Amino acid sequence: MRSVLDLIGVAISGLTSRVSRTLLIMLGPIIGVSAIVAAVGLTESAKGDLQADLAELGTNLITAEAAGSFGTQNPVFPEDVVDRIEALGGVQKSTATLSLTGIITAPYEAAATYYTAFPTPVLSADSNFLEVMEIELKSGRWLNEFDYRTGARVAVLGIDIANEYSYLAGENVTIQLNGLDYAVIGVYENVKLVTNFNTAVLIPPLAADNDFDVGLEANTVYVRADPARVNEVRDALPVAINLGGNDEVNTSVPSDALEASAKADSTLQVIVATMGILALVVGGVGIANVMSISVIQRSAEIGIRRALGHGRGLIAWQFLLEAVAVGFFGGLGGLAVGVGIVVYFSRLRDWTHVLDPILVIGDYEFPSHFLGVPTIYVLGMSAALITSVIAGLYPSVKAARLEPLETLRLG
Amino acid sequence: MPDASLLQLEEVSRIYGDEVQVHALDRVSMSIEAGEFVSIVGPSGSGKSTMLGLLGLLDLPSLGTMWVTGKSVRDLSDYERSRLRGDVVGFIFQQFHLIPHLDARKNVETALLYRNLTPGERKRRAMEALDIVGLAPRSDHRPVQLSGGEQQRVAIARAIVTEPKLLLADEPTGALDSTNAANVMEIFQELHSPLRAIAIVTHDPAVAATAQRRISMKDGRIVADEILTPTQPAAGYGGTLGTDGQGTLEAVETEADS
Repeated sequence: MRSVLDLIGVAISGLTSRVSRTLLIMLGPIIGVSAIVAAVGLTESAKGDLQADLAELGTNLITAEAAGSFGTQNPVFPEDVVDRIEALGGVQKSTATLSLTGIITAPYEAAATYYTAFPTPVLSADSNFLEVMEIELKSGRWLNEFDYRTGARVAVLGIDIANEYSYLAGENVTIQLNGLDYAVIGVYENVKLVTNFNTAVLIPPLAADNDFDVGLEANTVYVRADPARVNEVRDALPVAINLGGNDEVNTSVPSDALEASAKADSTLQVIVATMGILALVVGGVGIANVMSISVIQRSAEIGIRRALGHGRGLIAWQFLLEAVAVGFFGGLGGLAVGVGIVVYFSRLRDWTHVLDPILVIGDYEFPSHFLGVPTIYVLGMSAALITSVIAGLYPSVKAARLEPLETLRLG
Repeated sequence: MPDASLLQLEEVSRIYGDEVQVHALDRVSMSIEAGEFVSIVGPSGSGKSTMLGLLGLLDLPSLGTMWVTGKSVRDLSDYERSRLRGDVVGFIFQQFHLIPHLDARKNVETALLYRNLTPGERKRRAMEALDIVGLAPRSDHRPVQLSGGEQQRVAIARAIVTEPKLLLADEPTGALDSTNAANVMEIFQELHSPLRAIAIVTHDPAVAATAQRRISMKDGRIVADEILTPTQPAAGYGGTLGTDGQGTLEAVETEADS
């Protein structure tokens, strides 16, 4: 056992006596491991917020849009679409909206020409809208029973359009829709799941029909389903809405798009981590190179140690351990640098940094921890150690094969 | 069969090369007993370096048998031979061969590695050995900070720290001026004891004359093996001066050239 400690001491003193060379060859494992840790950690940190959002928004929102058969202009759903949908098993709640087309919106009349170039979605929405979309009001109020019944000219705005038109919370102002003044009664918070709601103007269906002659039918419904039955509900929607009619219904799950973007990130993760492994391999070649030269330079030392009774095996171990120590301490340095990168860039981007990311390669998902240590650190260190062992094999065998008689120049 | 000899060679040859064979040693038989003080002399190419490699267990005979403390070296693995070398032989080289990045004490301690010693024990023994050669106060100096004579004394400390039965020196004064050479030879005289044999390979007659026994070699053979009258030389080492030395050198057929 003490012999092992002796060996470690010899290896460490061999490295510390040549500090700059040791630091140089440590760069390989440092860059490799930090790239692996940073790549996986950063992509996971970026994804982490997205997944938190998804968990908050829920993945059970389904969108159904009226597509109509060929040639139908402005296809719409039947008037009782919400009742039909809510009669389905697995549906929790739904809301119907109608997208109005060709409405020019402007904060005041004189600006109408300018804002023609920036079309703003105008929707009529029913009373379930906020609840189904899980949207919070930022200020003011939502459309009430009176507004729905009388078709009052009132509007609730998305956060972005409110900012764009400089509406201040609680101020009694109007918005112009095709020149008609609508009172702005409320502004709602940022909608993450359907981002074009943030620039939308929502009005009562009756007002939409009165002023723009669009009818009372809806062309888009949003459905909250039982999370376990999302696909089942999605498949059943077209039939339920049309009662077997020919008109088409396009369904989608908005959270799918967000999840797909998270998947795209994991591809990036694999690419950068692969580059890290490449850096490790190149670093390993560097270790092998420098140590081979070192063996030649230190041939006298090797001869002395042999003369002092150290066998070939001990010489081989000494040089192998030097390589492994480079991998070990370089790997530790790489972990530190990698964690630093993840924390620093996460702070820059306002992400919550993830230091125990889940690594996915192909279809295999690694557990997040291995013996209590984040798996990515274990994998990074293992990769550094394995490359350094392989890199150290040739120099150590070369050192062990040196003939002491030749290196000591006797006589 | 081997008797109680420290080292024994029987009809040992060392042959280099395959097609053109060079007999660096040609059927040499001899033995070194415990506590002897031997010099091995001879001109360049006489085979004394080859002899040194064999006596130091750094090399193996091509033919013949060699026993070290009763063990035939041919039967030993590299590990066992290395162990035996570390236990029985202490080397002193012409070029000192200290490890440059270690200080004096650490250089001495290198001989004590892999012997199941605690660091404290190793340090104590290294300091004792440095004290014997008078260098304990400079134990934290690295080789480049020491003079040639001091470096050779560190090397001697390293050779004796394992308490070997044989000190094997290769031209130990060859790289030293005459003062340091005399100093080193005095240390050899002091170190010589019934428990510690000394063998010095040299072509300096003055160095050879300090030994009790002189083995002269030429062309791979031993040409003379004499017991010398004990002397206490005080000066004259270094080859260029006083090559006649002070030992009694009668009955020398093959004078070593220097």
